[in-house]
Amino acid sequence: MKTPDSAATSARLPAATLAELPDGREGVVAGLTQVAGLDGDQASALITRLRDLGFVAGAQCKVVARMWPGGDPIAVRVGGSTFALRRAEALAVQLGAS
Amino acid sequence: MDAAVATRSVRIALVGVPNCGKTALFNRLTGSRQKVANYPGVTVERREGERRAADGSEMRVLDLPGTYSLNPTTLDEAITRDVLLGRVAGESSPDLVVCVVDSVHLPIGLRLALEVKRLGLPMVLALNRMDVAKKRGVHIDLAVLAKELGVAVLPTIAVKSGGADALIEAIEPRQWHSLRTGGTAAWSAPSAEQAEQTQNDLRGLLQSVGYRAPPDNRLGERLDGLLMHPIWGMLVLAGVMFLMFQAVFSWAEAPMDLIDRGMAALGAWVGGALPQGPLNSLLVDGVIAGAGGVLVFLPQIIILFFFILALEDSGYLPRAAYLLDRLMGGVGLSGRAFIPLLSSFACAIPGIMAARTIPSWRDRLTTIMIAPLMTCSARLPVYALLIAAFIPDHSVGPFNLQGLVMFALYAAGVLSALLVAWVTKLFAGARRYSPLMLELPDYQWPNASNLLLGLWERVKIFLSRVGGIILALTIILWFLSSYPAPPEGASGAPIQYSFAGRLGAALEYVFAPIGFNWQISIALVPGLAAREVAVSALGTVYALSAPGGDDVSGQLEPLIAHTWSLATACSLLAWYVFAPQCLSTLAVVKRETNSWRYPLIMAGYLFALAYLASFVTFRVVSGWT
Repeated sequence: MKTPDSAATSARLPAATLAELPDGREGVVAGLTQVAGLDGDQASALITRLRDLGFVAGAQCKVVARMWPGGDPIAVRVGGSTFALRRAEALAVQLGAS
Repeated sequence: MDAAVATRSVRIALVGVPNCGKTALFNRLTGSRQKVANYPGVTVERREGERRAADGSEMRVLDLPGTYSLNPTTLDEAITRDVLLGRVAGESSPDLVVCVVDSVHLPIGLRLALEVKRLGLPMVLALNRMDVAKKRGVHIDLAVLAKELGVAVLPTIAVKSGGADALIEAIEPRQWHSLRTGGTAAWSAPSAEQAEQTQNDLRGLLQSVGYRAPPDNRLGERLDGLLMHPIWGMLVLAGVMFLMFQAVFSWAEAPMDLIDRGMAALGAWVGGALPQGPLNSLLVDGVIAGAGGVLVFLPQIIILFFFILALEDSGYLPRAAYLLDRLMGGVGLSGRAFIPLLSSFACAIPGIMAARTIPSWRDRLTTIMIAPLMTCSARLPVYALLIAAFIPDHSVGPFNLQGLVMFALYAAGVLSALLVAWVTKLFAGARRYSPLMLELPDYQWPNASNLLLGLWERVKIFLSRVGGIILALTIILWFLSSYPAPPEGASGAPIQYSFAGRLGAALEYVFAPIGFNWQISIALVPGLAAREVAVSALGTVYALSAPGGDDVSGQLEPLIAHTWSLATACSLLAWYVFAPQCLSTLAVVKRETNSWRYPLIMAGYLFALAYLASFVTFRVVSGWT
C-alpha cells in the first residue's frame, strides 16, 4: 500500500499517514496518495476532494477525536476547519517533516 | 435601460461551500424563510426567490446547494455546477454570482471562489460571519482581498437584520458595470496542475490579506473531547435522544389536556346548539371528533421540533453522524446517511431528498428505502393516542413509562432500518467504498429567532394539514360512514350499513389475524394519505358508531381503552412502526429514483414487515394476557 518512499520516511517520523498521527499532535501534509482497495476512479475522486478540503502539501493538521476500535473514523482540523474522515480517507494523506 | 434588460429579469446566484450561510443570505435578500441550520447539506436543491431593485426592476435570486468545488461528487453539488455553467435546460448562466465565503473558515471558501472566478461570470464576494471572525481574532484586509481578486468584497452578517445591506447595495443593477471580471466561460474539470496552481494562488492570496488561522477554540475542543468520545459521546447521544422523548410526553401534558377539554366543550356546545341532523353530525362527529382530535397533538409536535431545531442549529448533528459512522458502515450505510435519516424523523420527504448528498447511488438508494422506517412526526399522534390509552402513567425509576414506550417505538424503527440495510448489503454483495469526509461545523448557541421561526413554520404546516388534507379526508370519511343510511328497522349502529362500514367489514378479513377490528381497518385506508388521519378517522368512526348519538368528541382515548384489547393496541403500534408509508412519500421516491420500481418495492416490503410485526405482536401479547 505504501510506496517505498513513504516507508523509508516512516522510520524517522511518528506517523507516515494521517491515520497514524497521534491525537493532539500537529502533523504536516506531505502529499496525497492512492489508497489500495479502491478502484481508480474512486481513488482519484477521493484525492481530488481531499485536496479541495485543504489537505495540500504544507498544510498543518491535527487529530482532535478518534473513534475506537481501530481509529475509524477520526476528526481532523486542517486550515481552520474540522472534518470527519474514515480510515481509508486518512490513509490517503501522507505526512512529512514539519 | 436597454430593452434586453427590461424584458428579462436578471438572475443572481449564491454559491459557496456547504454551511457558509448562503441560505441565510438568500432569506435576507428575498425576504423568504427557507430553512437554515448548522450542518452541511441543508439545501439540496436550487431555490429561487425575488428581489426588487431600487429602480423597480426585478431580480431573481438563486440559492444553490453548497459545494467544495466545481468538480461534483454528489447530485446536489452537480446541480450547482450545472446552474453556473448554464447547462440546465432552458437557462443560461446566471448574470451575477455572489460567492459566499465564511470568513472564519476563509481558506476553503476562498479556494472555491478562485475556481468560480475562473468561469468569468460577473461576481462579488460576500465575506459572511464577519462578526464571529472578528471575535475569534481572524484578520482579513478587505481592500487587499478585493484588489488581488479583482472583485468587490462585501462583509456580511447573514443572521443579523441589516447584516446584508452592503451586499444588497452592491448587487443593484446600476452597479453592475463595475463587476465584470472578464474571463472565459469555457470550463473543464481542472487538471492536477491547474488544481496545484489554484492552491498556490490561494496561499499567495491568504498571505497578502494577512490571514492567519484563528487560534484553537478551547471551549469547542473541550466539547469535542466529550461529545466525540467513544464512550462519553455515545452516552450523551443516548441521553439527548432519551430526554427528547421524555419531554414529548411530560411537557406536553398540560397544554394537551387544555386543547382536549376545549374540543370536548366545543363538541358539546355545537351538538346542543344545532338541531339534530346531518349538519350536526358532520360538525360534531366529523370535524370536531376527527380533525379536532388531531389538533390535540400540536404541543407534542412543537416539543419534538424544538429539540430537532435546537440540535440542528447547535452543530451537534454532524458529530452524532461521526459517532454512528462505524455502526452505519457495519450495516452497509454511508455515514453521510445519518443526516437524511435524522431529517426523516420530521418527515420522510425532506429526508429522502437530503439523500442527494450521498455520493454513491447504491448507498443513496438504501438510505431512501429505509428513510420511512424513521418514525415521522405524522406518526406521533397515533403513538401518543395509543400510549396514553393503554400504557399506565407510571414512573420507572427516574423515567416515565409512557416516555419509555415511545422511545422504544422510535428505537424499533431505527433498529429495523439498520436490519433492512444489513439484509440489503448481504444480497447486494461486496460494496464499493463510500466516503465520509463530513465537515464538523463550529458549535453555536441555537439562535432564538431562528428557532422560533422554525417552530412557527412547523406549527403552520401542522395546522394547514389539520385544516386541509386531514379535514378534507375526515369529511369524506364522515360521508362514506354515514351513507347509505341503514334500512328501516335495522338494528346495530348505522355506520355498519354505510360504504365505509362495508369496506371495513371486508378489510376485517385481511386484518383480523393481526387483531384489528373493522373500525381500525377503516381508519387505515385514509391513513395512507396522511398518517395522522388514522387518528381523526378513528375519532369519526367511533363517534358515528356510538349508540344513541353519544357524544364522543375529545373522548377517543378512554373509549378505545375500554373496547380494545391490549394485544390489539400493541399490534396497531407495531403496524405503525412500519406503516406502509403515505402516498406523498412514494411520489417523492418515484421522483428521486426516476422509476416506479423502487416506490413499489418500498410499499411492498413495508406492508409485509408491518403485517408480520403486527401478527407476531398480536399473537405474543394475546398469549401473555
